[in-house]
Amino acid sequence: MRQRSGGAWRLVSLGIALVLAAAHAPAAESKVKTLMAGLNFEYFSRTLVWDGDTGSARLQATLVSARTDFGFGKGLTLSLSAGLSLTDFEGLAFGTLPITLEYDASPIKGLVLGAELEALLLKSGDFEIKADGRFVSSFGMSKTWPLEGFAVEGQAKGRSNWMEASAGPRLAYLLSSAFVPYLEVNARWFRADFRMEETLEDLHGLETKRINGDLSFSVALGGDARVSDRLTIKAKAGFIPYAGGVDALASVGLLYKF
Amino acid sequence: MKVPAKMSVKAIPALLVLLVVGLGTTDAGWVKQTKLGDRFFQRPARTLRIERPALRRGPRYAPDRVLVRFKPDVADAYAEGLLRSYGFSAVRKIPRIGVYSVRTSPGSSVAETLAMLRRNGDIELARPDYRTRLADTPNDPFFTRYQYNLRNRGGVLDIPQGIQLQTTAGADIKASPAWDVAKGNPETVIAILDSGVDMTHPELAAKVVSAGRDFANDDDDATDDHWHGTHVAGIAAADTDNSEGIAGVAWNCKILPVKVTGADGTGFYSWIIDGIIWAADQGADVINLSLGGDFDDPFLEDACKYAFERGVVLVASAGNDAGSVLYPAAYDSYVLAVAATDYNDEPADFSNSGPQVDVAAPGIYIMGPVPQWSVEEANLPYGFASGTSQAAPHVAGLAALILSLKPELKPADVMKIICYTADDVNKSTWPGRDDIVGYGRINMERALAPYILK
Repeated sequence: MRQRSGGAWRLVSLGIALVLAAAHAPAAESKVKTLMAGLNFEYFSRTLVWDGDTGSARLQATLVSARTDFGFGKGLTLSLSAGLSLTDFEGLAFGTLPITLEYDASPIKGLVLGAELEALLLKSGDFEIKADGRFVSSFGMSKTWPLEGFAVEGQAKGRSNWMEASAGPRLAYLLSSAFVPYLEVNARWFRADFRMEETLEDLHGLETKRINGDLSFSVALGGDARVSDRLTIKAKAGFIPYAGGVDALASVGLLYKF
Repeated sequence: MKVPAKMSVKAIPALLVLLVVGLGTTDAGWVKQTKLGDRFFQRPARTLRIERPALRRGPRYAPDRVLVRFKPDVADAYAEGLLRSYGFSAVRKIPRIGVYSVRTSPGSSVAETLAMLRRNGDIELARPDYRTRLADTPNDPFFTRYQYNLRNRGGVLDIPQGIQLQTTAGADIKASPAWDVAKGNPETVIAILDSGVDMTHPELAAKVVSAGRDFANDDDDATDDHWHGTHVAGIAAADTDNSEGIAGVAWNCKILPVKVTGADGTGFYSWIIDGIIWAADQGADVINLSLGGDFDDPFLEDACKYAFERGVVLVASAGNDAGSVLYPAAYDSYVLAVAATDYNDEPADFSNSGPQVDVAAPGIYIMGPVPQWSVEEANLPYGFASGTSQAAPHVAGLAALILSLKPELKPADVMKIICYTADDVNKSTWPGRDDIVGYGRINMERALAPYILK
């Protein structure tokens, strides 16, 4: 119960921070040159070794969020987002519970909040280099599964949170005013926890899996396409290499300019 | 030196057929001074090496194939045409069960393909093509032939001396799939409190951690001068996958012999009390007590409590009198009481019953090693025996495997895991926990293998 309250408090705090940031936007109206809002869809996978594990497990997240971009001129843009996440922890094993549990269930729903800052570093001819920094946090909802086939009644209850911070340069080619392709290289820092509680009558177990800062790098190709004076599509696809394979990332957003 | 002269056993066939009457004890306890023997090793109970299953075993299903079944009213030609219209490059029908194995389209993942197929109203079921693996099977020659208790494939169990038993497939403790997960940690020790152990037996020589302690003769040599302890030790943890004899439940766990009965198979509570305390002090993780007495005794209970509080799981046989549960099995808070079932998962008619019975395990015609001195030279030192004495070491072996995998667990948790993962084999007559088989016949696979959250 205390855990839930703590998670809710963090969620409320971040929500307040987001609202305050949005509320300050009109106050800084003189500084905001452009304002865009829309929807964003994003997917990424991360192959991770959870603390204490000897093998890796793959995490896949799908995010759908409402997004607002504040353009302050001179290439400085702040983007805030809030929405829903679906996170799949396939293959994650909880090996210290009395009965080992292995996750093969449907993705866990969560609330996601994010902020992204983009700043122009250098412009030369048709090329420009921007610095991009982003923070996303997902607050998973609690999910319960019945444990069947045992001599007594039982259930498992799980809840997960994760956050990712990424930063890196973005090289854009100013092809035309309608389409700007870019290449982006990011360092990505990832943290997650998954708390699983197991109960079989009077047999109880609790295990929290953690990843305290997994660092990897991604390379992505993207483009901002102006469909009309007011509509812009932002799309990006890339990969995150790791020893023995690659993970993927992709996003697409539709933004309306006010 | 306690090894008796070679027993004169006439006409012993290749395998002994022994029927256990059970080890009786008397209540005429007498006290004698004991001294501690040499310790076999010293280690803190909580610093054991952790053996864990591989947490990741690669993809769980074929990355480019799914299995599909159409609704019964869908014609084959239509079904195949529909599958090809999705762009699947290969479609193969498994006619007997009406399932199609199809190769996914290039660029489509299994998840995407399944999602697409499940939206089609003509399709009854679409599933990934899950990976499988061979269950671990030891190469011990008697495992397949005689050890129905570990893996029962049904058919006739042909025991020497003309005994033929019709067995039921699956009436076993599911050892094979459980061994995929855990074969035991050599640092996990099962103390066998019994008539001693034949420490030179090929199945046990590499498994005993020391010469143990003999409380019947007050010395440091727990060599078996009966036969019972050797048989029990082998069921729990015989040397396995050694191309010889039988398989034990806990392949890699070690045995600590503690002799608490004399050559006639009887002993005193004081010897058992000493044995329990000594084994706990030596660092045993599990104590097997295939013995018991009729009388409740607070000193015996205190000894059980002492071991329990030091992290030891105690397992004891319920007894073979078709009566009440014997002591120490009846000390419900500290000891797992084990009843016996047979090759058809039926409760054994001799097995004691009562509210203290926790679980059951096979206890009829169980093959195990017997002392080499007890058989004539031409014969193999193995025999069949029946009783709750044979049932208990199955449970002790399982407890040792659980502790090998999760040494941080408390004895009470291990006891609950064993109980709650059991198969309720008599649920048609006594659903739920009952006084005959407790929670049921133990199921090693359910106790050790991961539960998949779907």
